[in-house]
Amino acid sequence: MRTVTAALRTRAGAVAAAVLVAVLLLAVVGPLLAPYDPLRNGADILQPPSAAHWFGTDYLGRDVLSRVLAGAPASVFTAFEAVGIGLVIGVVPGITSVHLGRAYEWITLRVMDGLIALPFLIFAIAVAALLGNAVHQAMVAVGILLAPSFYRITRAAALSHANAQYVTAAQLFGASTWWVLRAHVWSKVLPTLVVATANATAGGLLVVSSLTFLGIGVVPPEPTWGGIVASDLGYLTQRPYGPVLPSLFIMATVGALNLLADAIRDTGGDHGRARSLRRTGAGRVRLT
Amino acid sequence: MSVSPDPATAAREAAEAAGPGAAARETLLSVRGLRVSVADGSEVLHGVDLDVPRGSAVGLVGESGSGKTLTCRAVLGLLPAGVEVTGGEITLDGTELTALPAARRARLRGTDLAAVFQDPASYLNPSIAVGAQLAEVLRVKVGLGRRAARHRAVELLGAMGLRHPEHVSRQYPFELSGGMLQRVLIAMSITAGPRLLIADEATTALDVTVQAEVLELLAELRRDRGLTLVVVSHDLAVISQVCDTVHVFRDGGVVEAGPTRQVLRAPRHPYTRELIDNHERFGIGRVREQRSRS
Amino acid sequence: MTALLDVAGLHVALGRGRGRAGILHGVSLTVAPGEIVGLIGETGSGKTTLARAVLGLARAQRGSITIDGREVGGLRGGALREFRRGGAVQYVFQDPLRSLDPERTVFETLVEGLVVRGGYSRAELREAALDAARLVSLPPDLLPRHPGELSGGQRQRVAIARAIAVDPRLLICDEPVSALDASTRITILELLLRLRETRDLGVLLITHDLGSLGGVADRVVVLYHGQVVETGTTEEVLLAPRHPYTRLLVSSVPSIGDEEPPDPELRRALREEVRGLAAAPARQ
Repeated sequence: MRTVTAALRTRAGAVAAAVLVAVLLLAVVGPLLAPYDPLRNGADILQPPSAAHWFGTDYLGRDVLSRVLAGAPASVFTAFEAVGIGLVIGVVPGITSVHLGRAYEWITLRVMDGLIALPFLIFAIAVAALLGNAVHQAMVAVGILLAPSFYRITRAAALSHANAQYVTAAQLFGASTWWVLRAHVWSKVLPTLVVATANATAGGLLVVSSLTFLGIGVVPPEPTWGGIVASDLGYLTQRPYGPVLPSLFIMATVGALNLLADAIRDTGGDHGRARSLRRTGAGRVRLT
Repeated sequence: MSVSPDPATAAREAAEAAGPGAAARETLLSVRGLRVSVADGSEVLHGVDLDVPRGSAVGLVGESGSGKTLTCRAVLGLLPAGVEVTGGEITLDGTELTALPAARRARLRGTDLAAVFQDPASYLNPSIAVGAQLAEVLRVKVGLGRRAARHRAVELLGAMGLRHPEHVSRQYPFELSGGMLQRVLIAMSITAGPRLLIADEATTALDVTVQAEVLELLAELRRDRGLTLVVVSHDLAVISQVCDTVHVFRDGGVVEAGPTRQVLRAPRHPYTRELIDNHERFGIGRVREQRSRS
Repeated sequence: MTALLDVAGLHVALGRGRGRAGILHGVSLTVAPGEIVGLIGETGSGKTTLARAVLGLARAQRGSITIDGREVGGLRGGALREFRRGGAVQYVFQDPLRSLDPERTVFETLVEGLVVRGGYSRAELREAALDAARLVSLPPDLLPRHPGELSGGQRQRVAIARAIAVDPRLLICDEPVSALDASTRITILELLLRLRETRDLGVLLITHDLGSLGGVADRVVVLYHGQVVETGTTEEVLLAPRHPYTRLLVSSVPSIGDEEPPDPELRRALREEVRGLAAAPARQ
């Protein structure tokens, strides 16, 4: 946790966090801010930006700004949903596979290997076909496909810490596996996990955008950022700047998430050693 | 088990000795008033003086942070980024080292000046067999052809005391023990026939019987090849076994220096006395003393 | 007097399938309360495996391990954890930096054993931490600090304090001073001697350096290739070693009192003799 708060104090971390807070706010109040009803078709189609329509209208006469604002929750929260599902399915087996015995480890490894082998988009389409083309089902599909990387990352982190000498020391006191995980392993896996989550959310947002671009998950005419980009592509000749606004939002969110992930990764890992070096005074060079 | 230099090196040495005005200097390495500072300006080495006579073994003893390794790195020209020599001079056989451009300095390493350090495995490429790595040095620094280099590499490994050198030369670093790896590194360091070898805590991480063997090897190299040694250690006993003179380092400076026997028998500086006491509190000496008193 | 630790005829093999190798071949040794026994072994001797077997971290195929009269070699799972919580045996690691959790304060580390054992109030824990710190001469203002802010010597003292906070009867120390400077070494070794006096603690001191046992250990056990090749009082083993390997060890230790270095020829002869033994290991 210290790592995360430390990262938020760096410039990169603070900027990223600010952008994300803005995006979240947008996702919550966006639809309320929309000046026009995003679903109402209008007569003025493909209008350039004007006083009445700040970003113009699309091919059905709908106000672009309203559609983007209204599309915020669908785009952002669905990504969170997918990542959340992936987290639960991936993290718990990831950490426990190191401590619950060989058989359990083997089973989780094989299951995850199987999931990794699934071709991503085809799987999403198949789930949509099977469970119905609605947003939550699509997010479950995305979540399942995100799970293996969460599994691998947390497993790798847990493994690297499971053999630490201080873990052995705790075991020699008679501590249970649960106690060891809680006291020694969890807090060290957490920074890695936060970075992975930030990256996965960024990826998830892109995936959701791609899926809605293809028409999977969110049924039109519900606006989503990816869907808006898709529908506007057909009219690039008339409105070349069409996809710019929704793409900008996607870029800003994904960029901020990646930036935050980098900031956390860069601040983590020195475990107070930097502090101790400063404490020994005047940059004492520990070479001899 | 003698260690004869290869023909190329022997020829070069003979030529040098016969060169015009090249009277063999008594002092091989001389360090005067060496000062080293770090990036923020604070000084970490405060005017170190060191004289290494040709063919001798000089010991640098002190605890971690005392400046002994820093001195060696300054001599080798291998100070880390942000750390630099801010005063004094280092003279190797008449050549002032600090004034040399980096490229020339680099050429001296291996051919005039060599070093082995504490963790031998980290100085070797883990994915190349040790014989090949040794042969590479022979090709680059001595100019031998491929086959000659491979052959000479096996010879050198044998001369370093490794049993079954042909087999060892085909092994990878992870297959060899610390003592064997250190021998490989010593072999690599003497291929180009340097005049001075710096052994910086070279035996610290080794088992005590292996340490004795490596120290014996160094003594042999000194005897048979006229190699001058600078031995750095935190262990006074190691220094006392190998070195003629000792310099006691503390907090970036030399507090006492002199012939080993003399310094050990009659230390002048209280810190030296403390180091000697530490040794006699716990160790074989203590047991012998207890026995002789009872 | 009943031995605190009694290892008898211990055989330990590690690895699985074709990689399986015998590490210990019938090792026996004892440690009495208040006794410091030095276990000498170089790389490959099996000394770490022996320590791990006594601690229950490695399984023995044959032989017995008895601590304070209780057979502990076969303990597993819950029974093993319960035994460990009782705190009869504790361990001090070689590397003080790696054996302390860098994210926990010195206080948390010192009381870990007690917290796991359970049943202590916050005030009692604080008291115990201060006591332990005092025993190892650690200034109390270091309690809220993290290991990264301490020196090597201080860290090793924390490691020792952590181990004795649970009031063990037997302390196993694996190279406790090899990573430390000469002066810190003295402090730690004297600390062990003091603990032995005040608590009747039995100590098994594992090291590869025969020289460091003089003045510390009462008895020495020499381990070579998984077998005990010699045991005796420190004086006997250091001054009158019998087994060729012990003689090789003794002649390899550099000493500042020597007028001349040990004879390399003698060592060479001993090495040959020892190699001959390794080729045909004798069963005890």
